[in-house]
Amino acid sequence: MPRNGDGPMKVLCVAEKPSIAKAVANHLGGGQVNTRNIQGNVYVKNFEFQYSFPTWGNCNVTMTSVLGHLLSHDFDPRYKIWRDCEPSDLFDAQILTFVEEGKKGVASNIERQARDAKYLFIWTDCDREGENIGAEIRHEALKGNRSLSDPGKTVRARFSNIERAHIINAARNPVTLDEAQSNAVASRIELDLRIGASFTRNLTLSVQPMIHQHFRNKDQGVISYGSCQFPTLGFVVERYLRVRNFVPETFWTIKLMHEKDGIKVNFRWARNHLFDRMVAVILFERCLTSKTAQVMKVQTKPTSKWKPLPLTTVELQKCGSRFLYLDSHRVMQLAEALYQKGWISYPRTETDQFDCGMDLRALVQKQRQGGPWAQFARGLVNGGFSAPRNGRNNDKAHPPIHPVNFVAPEQLSPEEQRVHEFVVRRFLACCSEDARGSKTDISLLYGSETFNTSGLVVLARNYLDVYRYDRWTSSQDLPDFREGDVLEPTEARIHEGKTSPPGYLTEPELIALMDANGIGTDATMAEHISKIKERNYATTRPRARPPRQNNEDDDEDSGPDVPPAAQPDRGRGRGRGRGRGGRGVGGTNTRGGGGTSGVQEFIPTTLGVALVEGYENMGFDISLTKPFLRKEMELKMKAICEGRKTKAEVVHETIEQYRDVYVRTQQRLDALRAAVRKYCFSENG
Amino acid sequence: MATPSPDDVAASIQAYLSSRGVPPSQIWLRTFMPTIKLNSPIVALQKTALFRVLATDITTSLNKTSVQTLPGNVTNPAVKDQTLRGPITVQVLDVEDIGRSRWSQVEAIEAQERGETTKGREVIRVVPEENASSAEPAATSSGPHKLLLQDASGTNMYAMELTPVNGIGVQMSIGTKLVLRDITVARGMCLIETKAVEVIGGKVEAWDKKWRKERKARLKQMARLGGDGDQG
Repeated sequence: MPRNGDGPMKVLCVAEKPSIAKAVANHLGGGQVNTRNIQGNVYVKNFEFQYSFPTWGNCNVTMTSVLGHLLSHDFDPRYKIWRDCEPSDLFDAQILTFVEEGKKGVASNIERQARDAKYLFIWTDCDREGENIGAEIRHEALKGNRSLSDPGKTVRARFSNIERAHIINAARNPVTLDEAQSNAVASRIELDLRIGASFTRNLTLSVQPMIHQHFRNKDQGVISYGSCQFPTLGFVVERYLRVRNFVPETFWTIKLMHEKDGIKVNFRWARNHLFDRMVAVILFERCLTSKTAQVMKVQTKPTSKWKPLPLTTVELQKCGSRFLYLDSHRVMQLAEALYQKGWISYPRTETDQFDCGMDLRALVQKQRQGGPWAQFARGLVNGGFSAPRNGRNNDKAHPPIHPVNFVAPEQLSPEEQRVHEFVVRRFLACCSEDARGSKTDISLLYGSETFNTSGLVVLARNYLDVYRYDRWTSSQDLPDFREGDVLEPTEARIHEGKTSPPGYLTEPELIALMDANGIGTDATMAEHISKIKERNYATTRPRARPPRQNNEDDDEDSGPDVPPAAQPDRGRGRGRGRGRGGRGVGGTNTRGGGGTSGVQEFIPTTLGVALVEGYENMGFDISLTKPFLRKEMELKMKAICEGRKTKAEVVHETIEQYRDVYVRTQQRLDALRAAVRKYCFSENG
Repeated sequence: MATPSPDDVAASIQAYLSSRGVPPSQIWLRTFMPTIKLNSPIVALQKTALFRVLATDITTSLNKTSVQTLPGNVTNPAVKDQTLRGPITVQVLDVEDIGRSRWSQVEAIEAQERGETTKGREVIRVVPEENASSAEPAATSSGPHKLLLQDASGTNMYAMELTPVNGIGVQMSIGTKLVLRDITVARGMCLIETKAVEVIGGKVEAWDKKWRKERKARLKQMARLGGDGDQG
């Protein structure tokens, strides 16, 4: 309602980043947007336009933004100097909240614009951090206009991408700020600060002096602790030590080959392999004694290779590492850029199921316009469309990552193209049929031993035609075997092999481990991985040699070497140390030179190993390098979001838990120092 | 009801234990009788006797004339194949999982020692792949198992599970008693299957404790020897 004929009301909209503010302003302002600079900051702009809201009517809108978090938190200055207090004092020390120097202009812009605003409309990204930033924005706005705290005066937009219709819909359907989510973030910030700072100081004070003394320089900086980084480092070190300590062992297997109708068929021993030579030889002799083998089972049945699940952040990061040769940090940067430009949906999501109300066909139709997938998209529209699989997760905030609009690849930078192409291909694959084939399994009984083989005929590639990142190929044709056939195997022999160590951890493996052990949300995993590199606890290097499959298999029959597809090049085989079945997977990395291809593997530094082993040796009730403490913290964050726990409860409980750990580490610092001496100073024994 | 005579009770117990495959020596019976109340129900006394004898070393506790033992040439590797009718009672001195590398078993023990299998503090170290085609034999699946068996006269023989037998695995107790019937011995190694073996149970506490304590070190040593299983 207009105010006493003074003209339309003012609505202040605030986004998280300038690019979002600009995009939203252009969609709502319909071309009539006035841009103004602000005082004190060159990146943030105010966009002015008119818009007619359903409940508020015609309004003057000022759309601006912040640059991520507005507020910073730190301890009261009297705790600044380390030697002036005990590190454990920081568990209870007062924390001050303030606007940091670089953001002062941004904050005062909000305050000023709020003065004559009737409503505050928050447009931060829709995740936990966004709710928290929204609360910070409100905090600053209230300084200029207390009435914005009245009911209904501050609202929030719900959006997952910045496509026009979606934004307009969000503008017309505001919701309220989620205080619970904001509180979860606030408690995480407080806990990370208290625990991070106290443990960092303690760790540095315990170990830095001895390092300085040993190397006779002050090169070693602060040795920092983070409740998520340490378990992440723990995974890296554990795998490293596993590889170094590995003892190869010999195993024996029986290989059976039978030639029929001119086809040589290899059979696999049902026992796989044994680590006892005597037993293997005795069993083998009994096979030979029985001279003939009998076909026990011939079974042909349809089989399929499932299309992929809708795309989550964790999946994107893993695939980015494996197929696109981009580390997780870079992948997220590129995905974020694509989102801000309106090409893909919000890239931070745990949801792997598409809401049934979503018009997926319309999205598929958009991809007919061009790109190497255009023809496939047309095929989907013309009847090949199939509903996507549903995963088990739904964070209720954002849909799976998908393309929102069509963009010609040439309009993107080369790296953006790779990520964008992956997102599109993945989405189209989700909307296709599973690949279908026919599998024949054959079982032989030879003596007391069973041998198996199988053949695959791929009948319909379906999704595989667009999703180049999966492989499935027909095996050789199998000759006709009938149940009950008795045959004399062409060749049977004992074969000896040796186990080999797993590879060092690759980034996709590390992400998978963090995910499986419940540490790091989709939003932060990449950060923690960056941090351990930054802090010099671990480094990465290209994988030199592909590790053996399954770390136990010296199987020469691991399938034909499939040449990499034209685009994009997969090159690398498995990163994990398990999982046999080279068949179907792209051949081993043959690109020797260059060093740019190939997945990166993590190698801890001596300091990294010393820290993990030092803390491990303190006893498993300490467990700072194990994931469960952090996992519990993350579960408690979730409880705050769901209203089951309050911020105060969670902060208190967690601080008490860590305080207890702190006291124990204090008593066992010798274990830490011994590890430093062992690894950093190479003093063994 | 009149208390049965010690001789009757002893005879009844002897008959029962014999039927179970563990006929006791006179010496053992003589040490057992004073420990029981003669007027307890006979079934309870039989069960108690069985439980006690299963906790002993059969080379000392069993009646060597009434129990069948392994023939003298049983471990001769020159004999390709022989069948033993039995029933022959043996005790388990050692058990090994020969389907997994020793080193992976060492790693599993170490993970347990680090508390990574404790409830609420589990650490997942291997992440299953999403599109895993068929059921892959997990690193933790056990078997087949190789056993070291000893009969009542002290003869040792290796045995191997042809097919999985209920009760046989690395968590079984050392000193468990088995009764073998109609078994095949190939090159000195006994091949056991469910139909040929009866796991009666039991444990020799001292042996079991020692075995468990030393297991990790032994596995490590065997791994370093390259896993050459020729211990026959």
